[in-house]
Amino acid sequence: MSMAVNRPRWTRQLAGLIRKDLRLELRTKETVMAMVLFSIVTLTIMQFGFGTRDDDLTRFTGGLMWVTLAFTAVLGVGRSYVAEREQRVLDGILASPVPRVVLLAAKAIAIVIYMAITELVVIPVVGIFFVKGPYWDSIGWIALVALIANVCIALSGTLFSGLALFTRARDLILPVLFLPALVPVVIAGAGATHAVVGGPHDMSEYRGYCLFLVGYAILFLLVCIATYDAVFDD
Amino acid sequence: MSACGVGHIYGERAAVADVHLDVVAGERVAIAGPNGAGKSTLLRMVATLLRTGTGTLTVLGEELPGGARRARCGIGYLAHDPLAYLDLSPRQNLQLYADLFGVQDADRRIDDLLERVDLIARADDPVRVLSRGMAQRLALARMLLHEPRLLLLDEPHASLDAAGTALLDAELATMHADGRAAVIVTHEVERIASVADRLVVMRRGRIVVDEPVAGRGPAQVRARYEECIA
Repeated sequence: MSMAVNRPRWTRQLAGLIRKDLRLELRTKETVMAMVLFSIVTLTIMQFGFGTRDDDLTRFTGGLMWVTLAFTAVLGVGRSYVAEREQRVLDGILASPVPRVVLLAAKAIAIVIYMAITELVVIPVVGIFFVKGPYWDSIGWIALVALIANVCIALSGTLFSGLALFTRARDLILPVLFLPALVPVVIAGAGATHAVVGGPHDMSEYRGYCLFLVGYAILFLLVCIATYDAVFDD
Repeated sequence: MSACGVGHIYGERAAVADVHLDVVAGERVAIAGPNGAGKSTLLRMVATLLRTGTGTLTVLGEELPGGARRARCGIGYLAHDPLAYLDLSPRQNLQLYADLFGVQDADRRIDDLLERVDLIARADDPVRVLSRGMAQRLALARMLLHEPRLLLLDEPHASLDAAGTALLDAELATMHADGRAAVIVTHEVERIASVADRLVVMRRGRIVVDEPVAGRGPAQVRARYEECIA
């Protein structure tokens, strides 16, 4: 005979988990600070590596920005379960009646927020370092594609970091799994950025890349829903 | 809970094999045994943290693993580690668990528990700066937060000072009086006489003794245990 239990609402569980991640980040400032610093250093190295301030690197802007964001995402996603792992809290979370997909959603939303904060710095810095033509009027379009791409990064990243969590060589396995999954995001992000930077906007091309990213996000969402229980419970 | 022929294999070694164990409401069962006997593995299976390799495990009327999520609503798990975020305060940790378990009137309940475990004065300090014993008292509050019907305790007296031990024993007595069941894994065999109704001894993944404790003092329980593992 089953006991009568009060099933907690998943919305409250989700809000609690996101609040916890943001509180931890506000207190330690480890992940976002590392992501912002890493991205600035990477862009600075690229600035020195690809040319001087006098060179117009506008046509490479999308690639430079999205390669930087991809590596920054690996750094951020790699830290997404650090507190649970190092402070041995995971058993407490897993012993609670929280659906595993809610754990994924909470981590994914936290990563979207961390990426968005990083992009607040990266997008202007890219304009200052690499673009000689019109750029600042395209900021809104770049931010939009970044937002969609962040969802793709967060969903795939959370899935792979969950998989890597239970392996011994997790620091090696995560980039090996995650970077190939980021290739379509880099292609679409760079393509969409290229379509709106440095000249007349090609909105048809931009829309195409954004739709591709939406499709990619939906695909990973379905994969996550189908597999996340198995990642944590098997 | 009811375990019927339950087993679990790590690699090629059977950590738990063919375990049969029933615990009814209000019963307190102590599981003792040498290191590597499979006590913690069995407890983790009951806590739904580890899947059974063989046999059938039913917890709070829910067969695992299918009913794990429903069963978790009624399980309180106290592990070796406090299972608390070190950079959050005791209050913030309990708020998180209150959200996960859907605890009603959470703020009042959290204050009440922090008072009971004598952590109210340190409620807003990061767990990182608390002593091990204080962190273990926080773990006790976390376990009791959602008023579980089945308590699973892994070495609950470890790291507790005399006051903490008395507090834990008092809480266990209260929970027992409320008709809640408890499974306690312990190496402190002498303590079993005061905290449990039944003694289960495990050795090499199997239960070798399962008998009542009633009427025995600490020395007699210790002697019986030594006899079982000899």
